[in-house]
Amino acid sequence: MDALTKIVNWMPALLQATGTTISLSVLSVAAALVFAVVLALGKISANPVLSNLCRAYIFFFRGTPLLMQLFFIYYTLPQLIPALNIQSRFFAAWLAFTLNVAAYLAEIIRAAIESIDKGQMEASRALGLTRRQAMRLVIIPQAYRRMIPPICNEFVMVLKDTSLVSIIALTDLTYQTKIIASNRASALVYIPAMLIYLVITGVFTFIFNKLEKRLSIYE
Amino acid sequence: MSIIKTENICKSFGNLEVLKNVSLTVEPGEVVVIIGPSGAGKSTYLRCLNRLEKSTSGKIWIDDQLFEDRANGHNQVHHTAKERAAVLLEMGMVFQRFNLFPHKTALENVMLAPLAVKHVPEKEAREKATALLQRVGLGDKMDAYPSKLSGGQQQRVAIARALAMEPKIMLFDEPTSALDPELVGDVLNVMKQLAEDGMTMLVVTHEMGFAREVADRVIFMYDGAVLEEGRPEEIFSNPKHERTRQFLQSVL
Repeated sequence: MDALTKIVNWMPALLQATGTTISLSVLSVAAALVFAVVLALGKISANPVLSNLCRAYIFFFRGTPLLMQLFFIYYTLPQLIPALNIQSRFFAAWLAFTLNVAAYLAEIIRAAIESIDKGQMEASRALGLTRRQAMRLVIIPQAYRRMIPPICNEFVMVLKDTSLVSIIALTDLTYQTKIIASNRASALVYIPAMLIYLVITGVFTFIFNKLEKRLSIYE
Repeated sequence: MSIIKTENICKSFGNLEVLKNVSLTVEPGEVVVIIGPSGAGKSTYLRCLNRLEKSTSGKIWIDDQLFEDRANGHNQVHHTAKERAAVLLEMGMVFQRFNLFPHKTALENVMLAPLAVKHVPEKEAREKATALLQRVGLGDKMDAYPSKLSGGQQQRVAIARALAMEPKIMLFDEPTSALDPELVGDVLNVMKQLAEDGMTMLVVTHEMGFAREVADRVIFMYDGAVLEEGRPEEIFSNPKHERTRQFLQSVL
């Protein structure tokens, strides 16, 4: 009974921090999606400069730890270029996640586009569509559906990876949990915290599944 | 007058010569059928005509206009993108594997290019697509997605889709090779009807019955070259070339 009361008392603080976790995840994945489309199309473009630039970007952000990238943006960048001194922890975290996740999403989008049968482009071209029209009207609409499961997977990873931001003292769910655990000297708080993570990932997975079904009507 | 004329088309993939000096003419209203063993270069030839492949050398005239004059892969005829697109629109293509757009219904498949390329008003495009689908016997399948159609039905939608752009010539690349035997007839009937309506057609096929019955001229290709051509009755009953005789014996 005593434990339950404690947990109920912690809830307002935990839920408030959950808000930060969710908004950080949603905002960075949303921004990363837009950026990733540019990266993916750049990487498969016929222009070798653009293609290699996108390749290098993806190589860098997938090849270094996210935590290091976060440190880099929050600590190193202001030292190198004082003008880029990011004061807001939330903004620094958002930027790091957006830049990092875009690299992964770009690969997901590229793979989905390239998985569409070559005959689709040939048929489009034979009907007089330009390459750009074929992409917009034929290839990308089909690629959408194939992107949903891996994007969902990526989103769930991001939701959990945002716990890394506790290291720059941004009050997300993980950081708040740690504060409660040390201040009140009760490790019980990890139980409701984990359950909250589980509920959020569950809800978002459900939403993505619905979306996938809706996009599959033609199959 | 010719719809398509080619002179010495050559095509190599690396060291592999797939086409060796293919010269051929298709007159308006003519149905020309290309036969020959697989690997003879029949499909590659069709694909070179509408630029799905680029020939290595040779000349192509479409509707009496010089469209390509290639040497070492470089085209010496200069067209703007718009002019090139206009010439390519004179050819409709039907593929072995249909290549319908799976996320669009039969009707939407037929309407897509007229809307996007020719900017035909929606209502007009819909009426025309409806009429074309009825013409290929699919008036009751307009709103079906390709996954709900049989192979034969899909190929007929693909024919309607190509016709919607009002090409001067239809190129058929083994249109029945991917079909179950019992579905081949429906597609061939549509093609036969099209020929009777006066459409100019260049058909690569293994359907010798169709070639014999519908073709004005039969071309036998072997190892990247045209070995023999003539009226179907000449080719089928009295082939001049030993290779042609062997091929016909093996397929008939």
